[in-house]
This record gives sequence, structure tokens and C-alpha cells, in this order.
Amino acid sequence: MKRALVQHSGRPIWAEVREADSILLLPGGEMIAFDDTAWLPPTTQGATIFALGLNYADHVKELGFKAKEPPLIFLKGPNTLIGHRQETPRPADANQMHPECELVAVIGRPARRVRAEDALDHVAGYTVANDYAIREYLENYYRPNLRVKNRDATTPLGPWLVDAADIADPQALDLTTRVNGCIVQAGSTADMILGVADLIAYLSETMTLLPGDMILTGTPKGVHFCNVGDVVECEIASVGRLVNRIVADPAA
Amino acid sequence: MIAGSVYGVVLNDGAERAALASAFEAAPYQRPPVAPVMYIKPRGCIAPHGSTVVLAGDAATVEVAATIGLLFRHDANRVTASRALDTVGAACLALDVSVPHDSYYRPPVRHRARDGFLPLGAFGPFDETLFEREIVTFTDDREVHRWSCTRLASSAADLIAEISSFMTLRAGDLLLIGLPDDAPRIGAGTQVRATLDGLPPADARFVAEAVA
Repeated sequence: MKRALVQHSGRPIWAEVREADSILLLPGGEMIAFDDTAWLPPTTQGATIFALGLNYADHVKELGFKAKEPPLIFLKGPNTLIGHRQETPRPADANQMHPECELVAVIGRPARRVRAEDALDHVAGYTVANDYAIREYLENYYRPNLRVKNRDATTPLGPWLVDAADIADPQALDLTTRVNGCIVQAGSTADMILGVADLIAYLSETMTLLPGDMILTGTPKGVHFCNVGDVVECEIASVGRLVNRIVADPAA
Repeated sequence: MIAGSVYGVVLNDGAERAALASAFEAAPYQRPPVAPVMYIKPRGCIAPHGSTVVLAGDAATVEVAATIGLLFRHDANRVTASRALDTVGAACLALDVSVPHDSYYRPPVRHRARDGFLPLGAFGPFDETLFEREIVTFTDDREVHRWSCTRLASSAADLIAEISSFMTLRAGDLLLIGLPDDAPRIGAGTQVRATLDGLPPADARFVAEAVA
């Protein structure tokens, strides 16, 4: 099953995706068409948002780094998140703003020191993130720093959560990013350095992961700088296709 | 007890920045920081006054930095320094716990984001004179550290203005405005208390993990 968080009658509400991905079913039985849907990021309030840098071998090589041991983990705030078919602001000086298509694992039950072989039992489902980066703002302190990765509305998420039971193997999914219809990223979750199960095992060594917590698992190679007006689509097979548009930041 | 996100700032102690000036020019940093150097404490860190913090794994010794947390009542988005403190609605004492680490190059998630690593005192009314008063830390009822926010390189108002130039500090978020570079290090079996005249204290007891 797929579940989406939508704005309806003045409040966020979870709906089921029906009819070959064209209709949403609300809990009271009401149906809404996709075109009439106000998509919100499918998250739980207060959830911890973990993200990975340099977790695909091809992307590490592309950026001129060596594979990281230990993994490069950072945290993000909910101010960064926006839903499907929303807009991300691009500051006027951000000539090196690029999309990053990422598989997101959402925790379903508490995980504390779980073994990798048991870790996928703690996943409720999966979604897609586009974790935009703006390379001009990178500094070598707690890098990637918050000025790069914690800007408002720079992390589209969605369109929905797919139940973990519907994803046979999270490490065998194709990822594709298109900008104005042209492919700029094409990879596979098979190329992750640490897969979803390994990441849950690693993170849960020092933090208890709680339901709703999310892990943005990193992005494959393909650094493509975007312009105002670009339509950016991040698609992960069997999970979903997340659409976003870049607009001029009105204040910068 | 906190509905929003918790953000903190390191390298905001004026003496610490002066001492690190030459290190900032060398690898891997290359140049001094421009934007505030920030970290996030996720919800699992937050612990109420009087909590017990379990020191597990490689956290035999931890640094406990007492600081002030500012709770936002309005969104701070591109505010000027002169208006920044209008967005603050309350303040608390915080014990920001971390596993000591020397490098500021990579995000400190494993060092700063562990279960219970942010005991917070109860909130009190915010008032700018809090920044002038001394934050005193006691271990087992003995004073071990004393500092005030007059040591900060960027004042709270300047910090809020700088941070809000690139992200919103939302109503309900908490900002820890800086850490002393000489914060005490403690081990299991220690009772820690931070006090500041005008705010409720923040207490935590640090214990070793029970061996199963």
C-alpha cells in the first residue's frame, strides 16, 4: 500500500493511494484526484532526519573523495521539507545548485542496537527525497554545513510512503533524476556503500531510532547544476516519482 | 517538551576562536568559518531536568557544556539583529553533552546526538540580562566551571540574524547559543548541576550502562 499526507479541509491527513496511482482515498471514504491534491511531505512531526553523504562509490569518485570510514552522517530539520509538486527557491548567487535523488527509509518500530540482519524488520516504508545541495555555500566545518543542507524548502520528499512489504529488496532499485526531461542521474541502490540495513545497524548503535525517523541514504553520481524554471523529477523504481520546480528566491 | 527542532552552535567562544586562528587557515579547514557552525540535537537527546544519562560504548568520558537555550515564539526568517530577540519567548539552561572530539570537519552526529545527551532545565522568562550572568556548573555539589555569554564571539542577536539569513528558526525551535571551550569532562557516577540566576537549574546524573 502507498500512503500520502495531504492538506485537506485545513489540516494534514493521511490518505491511501488508489486506482493505479491517480486517486487518493481519505479515511471517511472521500476520493480526491491527484490533480486536486495538495501534497505534503509524508512525515511524522518531530521525526529525526538522518542523511548520508558520499554513500555511493561512483559519486565519491566523482567528487574526488575517498570512501569514508566511518560513514558521513548529518542531520536535517523539518524546515527543509516540502511535498510533491512544490517549489524550491534558488538564491540568485547559487550557480552550483544540484539535485540529489535519494531513497528514504522510514522507521516503523524502535531500533536500538539492532543487527544488520534484523534491521529491515524496523522499516515501515520507503519514499523519495531530492536533497538539493548548493556547493557555493560549502564550508569545511561540520561539512556539509547547515547553510548548504538545512535551507527552507530545499528537500522535496514524497510523493508518498510505500509499505516496506511492497519492496522486495531496497538494494535493487533504479534511481533516475531528470531535469526538464533529460536524464542527469541514473544509478542503482545496489551501489550504496552502506545499505539500508547497515545504516540502521550503525545509527542504532548510539541512538534509538523511533517510528517516523527517516534515513536519506545518499545519492549516486551525476552533479548537474540547475536554473530557475527547471522541472526536476526524482524517480525510484517501485517507490515513486517526485516532481519539483526551481523558482527564484524572492529575497536573495 | 520541545515541539520543534534543537539547533546548537560551536566555535562561538571568543577565546576559543582566537586560539584556533592558525588552525582555521590549515587543512582541512583552509579558511575561518563564515556562517555559524551549527549542529542539530534530535528528539532522542532531549531529557528533562533530573534525568539519568547512560554513558555507553565509547562514551566513558563526556564533555558537559552548560549553556542557554532560547525558545522561539515567532519564526525568525531574515530578521535583523536589532529585531532578532523579539522572536524569543523563553529560555532554559541546557547541559549539552558530547563525546570529546578534536575535528570540526565532519558533522558530529555520533559525538553529539546520543540518547539523553541534552538534559534541559525548565523554561523561564527570557530577558537579555541572562547573557551577562554567570552559568555555574557543579559536579557532585562542587563548583567546576563558570562562564557567561559575554564570552560569545557572536551575540545571541547576531547569531539569530545570521542563521535566519539562510534558514528559518521556527516558533517552537530551540537554539543553544554557544559552548565554552573549557567545559568540564566527567565520567559515570557524577551528578551535574548547572545554575544561572534567573532560570531554573538543569540537573543530570551520569551512570555507566548496566552490564546484562
